[in-house]
Amino acid sequence: MKERDRKFYLASVTDRFVRGQMDRRSFLRTAGTLGLGATALGMGFGSRPFGVSRAFAQEQLQPSAEVISWLKDVAKPFAGTTLKLATESTPPSNAINSQLKKYFEEATGIRVEIEVLPLEQVLQKLTLDVASSLGTYDLYYIDQSWSASFSEDVFDPREQLQEKPDLAMPNYNIDDFMPALVDGIAKYGDRWVGVPYDIPIFIMIYRKDIYEKLGLKAPATFEDLLNNSVAITKEMGPNLYGYAGQMKSGHYALECEWTSMLWGNGGSIFNAEKKFVGNDERGIVALDYYTKLKEAMPPGVDQWTWDGQGQAIAQGVAASMLSWGEFFPYFDDASQTKVSGLCEAVVPPQPVALRKPEECGYGEIPGAGHQGGSSLAVSRYSKSPDAAWIFMQWATCADTQALITTLGGGTGPTRASVYDDPRVKANARVGAGTTRHLSVVRETIDKYMGSEPDLPEWAQLSSDTIPVGLGKYFAGSYGSSKEAMDDIASQVEAVLKG
Amino acid sequence: MHRSAFVRTLRTIAGWLVVGAFFFPIYFWTSVAFRDAKDIFNWPPIFFGFQPTVRNFEQVFGISLGFGFGSQETVTPGGGNFYMGPRLWDSIVVATFSTVLAIVVATLASYALSRMHFRGRHEFVNWVLSTRMMPPVAVAIPMFFIFKQFNLLDTYTGVILVHGLMNLPLAVLLLKSFFDDIPAEIDESALLDGASRWTIFRRIVLPMAKGGIAATAVLCFIFSWTEFLFVLTLTQTGLKTVPVVSSTFVTSIGTAWGNMAALGAAAIVPAFVVILLVQRHLVRGLTMGSLKQ
Repeated sequence: MKERDRKFYLASVTDRFVRGQMDRRSFLRTAGTLGLGATALGMGFGSRPFGVSRAFAQEQLQPSAEVISWLKDVAKPFAGTTLKLATESTPPSNAINSQLKKYFEEATGIRVEIEVLPLEQVLQKLTLDVASSLGTYDLYYIDQSWSASFSEDVFDPREQLQEKPDLAMPNYNIDDFMPALVDGIAKYGDRWVGVPYDIPIFIMIYRKDIYEKLGLKAPATFEDLLNNSVAITKEMGPNLYGYAGQMKSGHYALECEWTSMLWGNGGSIFNAEKKFVGNDERGIVALDYYTKLKEAMPPGVDQWTWDGQGQAIAQGVAASMLSWGEFFPYFDDASQTKVSGLCEAVVPPQPVALRKPEECGYGEIPGAGHQGGSSLAVSRYSKSPDAAWIFMQWATCADTQALITTLGGGTGPTRASVYDDPRVKANARVGAGTTRHLSVVRETIDKYMGSEPDLPEWAQLSSDTIPVGLGKYFAGSYGSSKEAMDDIASQVEAVLKG
Repeated sequence: MHRSAFVRTLRTIAGWLVVGAFFFPIYFWTSVAFRDAKDIFNWPPIFFGFQPTVRNFEQVFGISLGFGFGSQETVTPGGGNFYMGPRLWDSIVVATFSTVLAIVVATLASYALSRMHFRGRHEFVNWVLSTRMMPPVAVAIPMFFIFKQFNLLDTYTGVILVHGLMNLPLAVLLLKSFFDDIPAEIDESALLDGASRWTIFRRIVLPMAKGGIAATAVLCFIFSWTEFLFVLTLTQTGLKTVPVVSSTFVTSIGTAWGNMAALGAAAIVPAFVVILLVQRHLVRGLTMGSLKQ
């Protein structure tokens, strides 16, 4: 083989390997045949975390020297301290826990223990910690639906920056956090409940190949979404359905999807007088729309959370979903799914009508891009709040966020500048850990984001009252959508009255 | 003759079908541990004939089995920096020592309850029984505060104590029934021969109750092995048992079923070994008292 051909062939093989289209063994064998050892390729025999080659990880994916230098200086008095954080298993927490915290620990001498738990168990642990004021945890991972409950138990980061200038990270730039996320995730009233740490947000994900095959265009409106989904199910069912939902009775996932349908059809959860209005005219239209959409979904969808929904796309059972953008890199991973390279991301469909935030109560912001997410904050009961504040700044600074986004498999950054980081952009190609959907995520955050209301009772309403009522409706326990929503409205009012 | 052979064959087939039905969930769960994510949710489901992989085990235990996936750099969905090997060890330590604690205390207590007639004995037994009726969640939170005061949070000692206490009532009641089945006349004869209470207990009653003690120990071990709530509440990062770390595979972007199955399949092994070790005694223990004098 000519040298030029050999290089071309090797480049193509390497590309296939990096994209996850070729297993490691075959790659090494082929590379060996071409006279190039694994060491020469910089691959070694380690793993490729989230599809990033080890060589790339070692050379590019390390904290900046400036950040490490600041950590070494500022943390001297705190060496030997141990910090504890309880968190959900999210891409940022996993990337910090498994890949990045070693850099922080080496530079500062501060030990960081991260306890990873399912979301509801994090809530249990934090509630216990707050109730006892024992300071078991130094940092709180606060889901956006709990921000009202924990707002007085954490430091406002703006106060920390002002009161402790000697601990402030140079160029931390708190204004770089996307304003929509600060409002939607981290703010309760005038207080900041930490800084935005994680941003799963609903985007439209669809199978481009199926849409093209049937001559359909990406759904631009909610009407398109319904029509396209029905058409695909009619044409290709029962092998393939138009849409996959997350409709498990009594689960928060159902509430999230319903909220998106409600906002997308011009409704809202509360009105300006803080009264539940999911049962008004727009609310009923929304539930009827959701009911029709369900007819285009696979059987068993009422047993699925976002997990089952994602698996339906990954297994090629469904052609579209309006769901968390964090799934997209997973769909592109050829070792995990059957749809690598076949999915596309677009912004959520345009609503039929959209209620304005001032027409809603409790800080609710209608928008088809339903936003989840969490904040990171220092606990008021921490025994080492200063050391915790240093860790928090490091974990949420632009440099660390860029590393998290790349190592954490294409999760959405909460800082505007990170979307333009060359390390993040370098991964915008088909393959595991892709970031090619992040421009859509960014646009959705900026223009189409919907935020749930902030009130202390929201954790109960969103995870129990509303999804249980909706589950009963879809199971046929009510005579009509109106009857179901009226019943949910009366239950919500009862919870609010205490 | 012909007919009886036919019946025997039918019985054998029926036996295998029953065994198959009981073992199928274990097979299926274990097979999930050997599948890539894309092969787990196939529809229609594939029970056999998938491409096996050890990737899940390598990720969960942070080891390399020679297939190129595992290393200390592997990111597991359950948080990454704690590999499940130490967590499996935590489970073994906690279950073993809490079982020993429960059995030692319960053996002495239940022998006394069986043989010694003192005032309030029946009330004491009823009180022991009543502690089993209390929901664990009612105790877990007060226990958190007590443990915090005594620096027992996140320690082997703390979890072993709790699991020991949790299993104690069951062990006392079970062992009492086993001791009740050993005729008291044997004790009396030995007393007449000059043996002390301790000697009778150690040299005569204990060996006779060996089967019952083994059966009780297996139950205690399994209850500790599968306990979730106390470990969740009373530990942080220092130690975790298998049921709690299994739950960490439920992530914000879905459940890592393959990893969870790998840990689950590995977690069956120690419990299986314990049962295998005491199997001989177990059969005796379960049938003790089936024939009354």
